[in-house]
Amino acid sequence: MAICEFIVNWAGGVPATALPYALAALGLIVSERAGVLNLTAEGLLLVGALAGIGASLAIADRPWVALPAAVLAAMAVGLLFAGLVVLLRVNQVIAGLAVVFFCQGLTSLLGTLAEWQNHPISGLGKLIVWPLSELPAGTHALFQQDGLVYALLPIFYGVHRVLFKSMTGLRLRAVGEAPEAADSAGLGVTRYRVLAVVAGSALIGLAGGYLAVGGTKMWFGGMTGGRGWIAVALVIFARWRPWRALFGALLFGCIESMVPRIAAAGISVPQYFILMTPYLVTIAVMVWAGRGKGGADLDEPGALGRPHVREERR
Amino acid sequence: MASPSFLPAGRLNLEIRTNLAMGRQMLILVGAALIGILVSAAILVAAGVPFGELLSEFVIQTLLDPASRQAVLAQAGPLVLVGLAGSVAFRTRFWNLGLEGQMIWGSIAATALSVFDFGPPGVRLPLMLAAAATAGLAWSGLAFYLKERFRVNEIISTLLLNYVALYLLLDLLYGAWQDPKDSFPHSPQFRDFERLPDWGWPIHGELLLALLATVAVFWLLSLSRFGLYIRFVHENKGAARALGVPVRAVMLASVLLSGALAGWGGFIITDVQEGRLTQSFFDGYGFSGILIAFLARNNPLAAAMVAVLIAVLFVTGQSLQIFYQIPFSMVQLIEAIIVMTVAASEFLIRHRLRWVA
Repeated sequence: MAICEFIVNWAGGVPATALPYALAALGLIVSERAGVLNLTAEGLLLVGALAGIGASLAIADRPWVALPAAVLAAMAVGLLFAGLVVLLRVNQVIAGLAVVFFCQGLTSLLGTLAEWQNHPISGLGKLIVWPLSELPAGTHALFQQDGLVYALLPIFYGVHRVLFKSMTGLRLRAVGEAPEAADSAGLGVTRYRVLAVVAGSALIGLAGGYLAVGGTKMWFGGMTGGRGWIAVALVIFARWRPWRALFGALLFGCIESMVPRIAAAGISVPQYFILMTPYLVTIAVMVWAGRGKGGADLDEPGALGRPHVREERR
Repeated sequence: MASPSFLPAGRLNLEIRTNLAMGRQMLILVGAALIGILVSAAILVAAGVPFGELLSEFVIQTLLDPASRQAVLAQAGPLVLVGLAGSVAFRTRFWNLGLEGQMIWGSIAATALSVFDFGPPGVRLPLMLAAAATAGLAWSGLAFYLKERFRVNEIISTLLLNYVALYLLLDLLYGAWQDPKDSFPHSPQFRDFERLPDWGWPIHGELLLALLATVAVFWLLSLSRFGLYIRFVHENKGAARALGVPVRAVMLASVLLSGALAGWGGFIITDVQEGRLTQSFFDGYGFSGILIAFLARNNPLAAAMVAVLIAVLFVTGQSLQIFYQIPFSMVQLIEAIIVMTVAASEFLIRHRLRWVA
């Protein structure tokens, strides 16, 4: 019976740990499908997390205040990134890294100066929806989830519809595959890319906000712990496809949800080696994704990382 | 598109500019860096540091006061090494973002010799240097292997390996290597013969090492046959291969050298600053190495000079931390702002805005 309880408990923790990965990877996919290589996730997660906690402490301790704040803050930083790489054509790797370090420095500074560090908030509450709440009490741990978890599938479905079933999505992908062709067809490459980056940043900001408001329920410096980098890897693993990214995120959710429960179950293993596992698994997954002829490169958006240059215009 | 009638006729045209005089380029870059510094100063003022203080206490004091000048030079040693490490890797377009992980490995390997009291005292220091370089290059070599063999993007692998190295460090410091004397999470103090020699200011073993590395890397990249190969690989891998340049060997060599230099950088910090392995000795150096290489355009001599400027920033950041409780990550914020403004200014170097009637 103990093992059964352990599994229910573990599986119940999976959605909450998988959600930040899923949303962040989805945001990155939106941006990269438009041809903008996006390494900013780690920074945007931090900004979203701090904004969520900051809004909760300064305005009102309500998720409907905190999560929009997280989204807006990340969109602002996304706009800065888009300005650098789309308008000014800065190298996308350099700009992405600079934005991450900018966010790390800024959030650490603001968090300390505003004294938002280690102040717990009540944050997002768990809920269980009606037909599931009728199930036997032992399984409630499985379905007692944050509201945002229940919103995850609609969000993924919506983004999938927009990217692959709508005219906007077709144009966005055209801009990412062959900007010159899209341009001669009359599409505003700059506009699509800026909008894609900002929309993607909104999703990553939501992920960051959830991490703080739904997860830790407090702010501490560097609290994202490399999840943004794992999300960047997830996108390659998912070959820029939303549903595959969701699957990958669940995989990481399973691993991360296992980490604290191993120690709690009284199994003695060196804790720091356990903490290494998400990173090692990410590398292993990348090795798996790169197998075969061409590997993941085949599915990479054609113009990923390449700025669109059009000077000849008269 | 027709302009509304209240605007003057004509519009701004964007043209590619291929040859801008070196002097003008420098002017634009320095101007951009100054804008970045001004933005940073504005943030510091907003954070509660009086503007007058900022100028007198930190900028002038840091450069004129002998004690802080010494601190700047002490800080410059490891920064030169990580800056060189970044430059060497970026020359072959290998994004080695794992400088911190390689620094950690370098320090762990060198500290291992001290912990296990390995080798006679007379050659302990050279052994520690060799161990630091070997461990650093092994860690960067791992990322290279993953890229070559399994096509794992090095941006991701090097960054993730940083976390793996960090947790190994924590495992050692909270476990096997915890100092038994005070039970703090740091390794036991290095012995005297394990510390880099100090022959009185400014001749310190650390600076000699940094200087030596700068000259060696300069020779390698600018004067040797290897440097020529690297230039080929940087410009066009396919063409280089067709011309008979051993592309893979050149890339491997530069990645390994990068890791070795970063390993040394890590070792120097542990050896000179605290004389023991600590949990966060590498903080801020990884991005600094990337920043230095970027600002120096991967030129080793320029990297050494930029590293000294960043060292001034580091020492200033430490004073700000002590006197104004500004977190040290402010240094990181300033670095990121400068990268952004300088990178953005390259737009003006590569393009010309012209009014077309």
